[in-house]
Amino acid sequence: MFRYLIRRLLWAVVLFVAVTMVTYMIFFVIPANPARLACGQRATEECVRNAEARLGLDRPIPVQYAKFLQRLVIDRSLGQSFTNRQDINKTILDAAPVTASLVIGGAILWMLVALPIGILSALRPRSLLDRAATVFVLFGISLPVVWIGLVLQYVVGYRLAWTPNAGYCDFIDPAEFATCGGPVDWAYHLILPWITFALLFCAIYVRMIRANVMDTLGEDYVRTARAKGAPEPQVMRSHVLRNALLPVVTMLGMDIGIALGGAIFTEAIFGLPGLGRLAVQSLNTFDLPMIQGTVVFATLCIIVFNIVVDVAYAFIDPRIRLD
Amino acid sequence: MDRKIWLSVAAAAIGASLLVAAATAAPTKIQAKKGHAAKGGTFVVEMDSDVDYTDPALDYLSTGWELMYAAACKLYNFPDKEAPAGSHLEPEVAVGLPVISNRGKTYTIKLKSTYKFSDGSKVSASNFVAAMNRLANPKLQSPATPFMDVIAGAQAVVDGKATKISGVNAINATTLQIKLTKPAPDLISRLTMPFFQAIPKSLSGNHDPNGVLTYSSCGPYYFAARTPNKSITLKKNKFYTGGRSANVDTIQVNIGNSLEVALQNVESGASDYAATGVPSTAYATLAAKYGVNKGRLFVKPQLGVQYLAMNHDRPLFKNNPQLKKAVNWAIDRRALLNQSGFLDGTRNDQILPPGLPGAKNVAIYPLEVNARTIAKAKLLAAGHTQDGKAVLWTANRAASLLQAQIYQFNLKQIGLDVSVQAFSRGVQIEKEGTRGAEFDFTTEGWIADYADAYDFINILLSGNTIHESNNNNVAYFNSPKYNKQMTAASNLVGSARQAAYQALDVDITTNDPAWAARSNFNDRIFVSARTRGFTYNPVFSFDYATVFVNK
Repeated sequence: MFRYLIRRLLWAVVLFVAVTMVTYMIFFVIPANPARLACGQRATEECVRNAEARLGLDRPIPVQYAKFLQRLVIDRSLGQSFTNRQDINKTILDAAPVTASLVIGGAILWMLVALPIGILSALRPRSLLDRAATVFVLFGISLPVVWIGLVLQYVVGYRLAWTPNAGYCDFIDPAEFATCGGPVDWAYHLILPWITFALLFCAIYVRMIRANVMDTLGEDYVRTARAKGAPEPQVMRSHVLRNALLPVVTMLGMDIGIALGGAIFTEAIFGLPGLGRLAVQSLNTFDLPMIQGTVVFATLCIIVFNIVVDVAYAFIDPRIRLD
Repeated sequence: MDRKIWLSVAAAAIGASLLVAAATAAPTKIQAKKGHAAKGGTFVVEMDSDVDYTDPALDYLSTGWELMYAAACKLYNFPDKEAPAGSHLEPEVAVGLPVISNRGKTYTIKLKSTYKFSDGSKVSASNFVAAMNRLANPKLQSPATPFMDVIAGAQAVVDGKATKISGVNAINATTLQIKLTKPAPDLISRLTMPFFQAIPKSLSGNHDPNGVLTYSSCGPYYFAARTPNKSITLKKNKFYTGGRSANVDTIQVNIGNSLEVALQNVESGASDYAATGVPSTAYATLAAKYGVNKGRLFVKPQLGVQYLAMNHDRPLFKNNPQLKKAVNWAIDRRALLNQSGFLDGTRNDQILPPGLPGAKNVAIYPLEVNARTIAKAKLLAAGHTQDGKAVLWTANRAASLLQAQIYQFNLKQIGLDVSVQAFSRGVQIEKEGTRGAEFDFTTEGWIADYADAYDFINILLSGNTIHESNNNNVAYFNSPKYNKQMTAASNLVGSARQAAYQALDVDITTNDPAWAARSNFNDRIFVSARTRGFTYNPVFSFDYATVFVNK
């Protein structure tokens, strides 16, 4: 286990360097100058020169990249934004809970819906429930997230006014003069984003759980367990679900890891100040440090969740040995 | 097996009940109350993206300056009035106009002693000195430094050779003296920019390059709180004794909602004003529903111009006034304007926007194309199109791309085969601002920094401002004759200055057009039903200090 973890961590470092290096290279291929943008519409050459020096853009690209790595590893700092000079660590840490609220809440919702529907569909194939689930899956996979979000936001949030149409409230410690805050406001404002975010995943997971459970139900060891007279709950718990849900755990870990990097569409539609919206804004303003910050955070999330999933595998399935 | 099914059904029911619980736990819906407009209340504003800074030395975006207009007190300011009166500056903290001596190089300004910051401290000449010293401080790298180029000793501070500007001094608490390196008749116009507002003692020593989020200011309001990317709160300055309005108690800016949500919120009354606009496709519907300038939707002209710049460094336009005139005759200004949405601007063919001191509307080129104007354009262009090929640069925004196609069609009619290259806006600015860039046309726009023709004609057209990179004169227009006239105009004051710039505007546009100006910007303002009144200042746009809402 220890050797495995070391090996995975070393790979993680290689992956991390590769991702950040590629981001740097892409940024510098684009011929826009953030220093020029920082100086406003009446930018003078002197202002741009000074801004380049302040932003570190006057150095060769490899030196800039080395400085970025040095700052990240030694100072644990992602630097400052090119456009508003805010501390990127703080900006990312402010945005991350918003995205985490959306993703984790959404994941709970989609699992709460997908698990029972997927299992029931598998247990009653071609029943009315199964056919209804198939239609749901078809819709869930076919409808773009943007469309679902906009429709929910307009119909439920605006026309019917059952929920807020947009906005975010802090779970704890709302900002001074904030118009809302606390767990109730937090959940109330996230209802539509959770549904929007969860619908696609819900459909995918229903289909996957149904297929896995059906496959497992046909396995020899399930038939053997039943033949030996094992009670049905035990067959389901110990033989069917334990095996059928193994790939679901992998998928769940991967999907949460990726989504934590920023659920761009959902955040944009509902005005959630999370990492996805931050990434889009940074791209629009050529704010390299902020783009790097979101990329670093997303990469770390994916790496960590991958490792967590791999380790969790060993505990769920005793046949798997990490070494 | 049945037990399993029921377990699954129960799990689904729990999931559904959680949703219902969250929905029923909703707080009471905000509803606009009917009543009489009175002082007080909160004015809720929607912005789709944050301002860059709320530090007076760093903020340089129009949305930020709108807020700064409510918070700042300056030596001179534009009054809380609509155009044209709103673009004629007046003394604010200053008592009357400055006494100018030393052949236009020394300004002595008397100050009122009644102004106070929101922390209760008095505003004196030293607060303005502190503001300018802070602007020039190299640690801050303020975008204000180009506007201080004529102030004696400012460059030494910018270069790190001094800590205080030698040319700016507080003679006493109510007398400020500014010494210049050369006469600058537009100095007091420059001083109207929010950069030059008085700053409190607590801010004067703060040279944090990240700027501050809140500070005590001496205008009708002050920045009470800011959470970047989330919200900004302005509160009324209870110590304010100046003559400006301060009607609502709080201005609450919510940041991050999309334009669609901003439209819904203002329509329903959850918010009062969509500061960064609503979807451009919605304006026609809103106009049909509420009328224009009748209570909810307002259209106000801005001091800005949109134009098609012609690159004079390229052989196509070098010493080729005939073709430049032909382009001005050929373009379909109405069709171009239609692409950016209902009431987005007003067609125009001149450099200076209406409402700017010195601007005068003269019919030079057609605002409407027809067979006659196309014939005239063809006649002018005949024999002047070189190889008949040209490159047009534009931004990769939807409206810009549509406009590029119209330019393509219009210019084809005069014998120019135009290929369009689209870039993201940041890339376009960078590329076109670099001398030697390979474009013949580029689409551009400019909004006034302050209400003076210098900010348009000298900044955008003087050959003396052309550098190797970072050019605003993207037409690379460099006429020794006009350069001389521009410099002469910039040294004039009062009506002589306005007349000189007016003549330059008409002369250049008629005889040697550097651009084809196509329109002036409009600000389309959508407010809630409970918003009972506001003033629109032509320089700083929406005037928050004058807003009234139903309580």
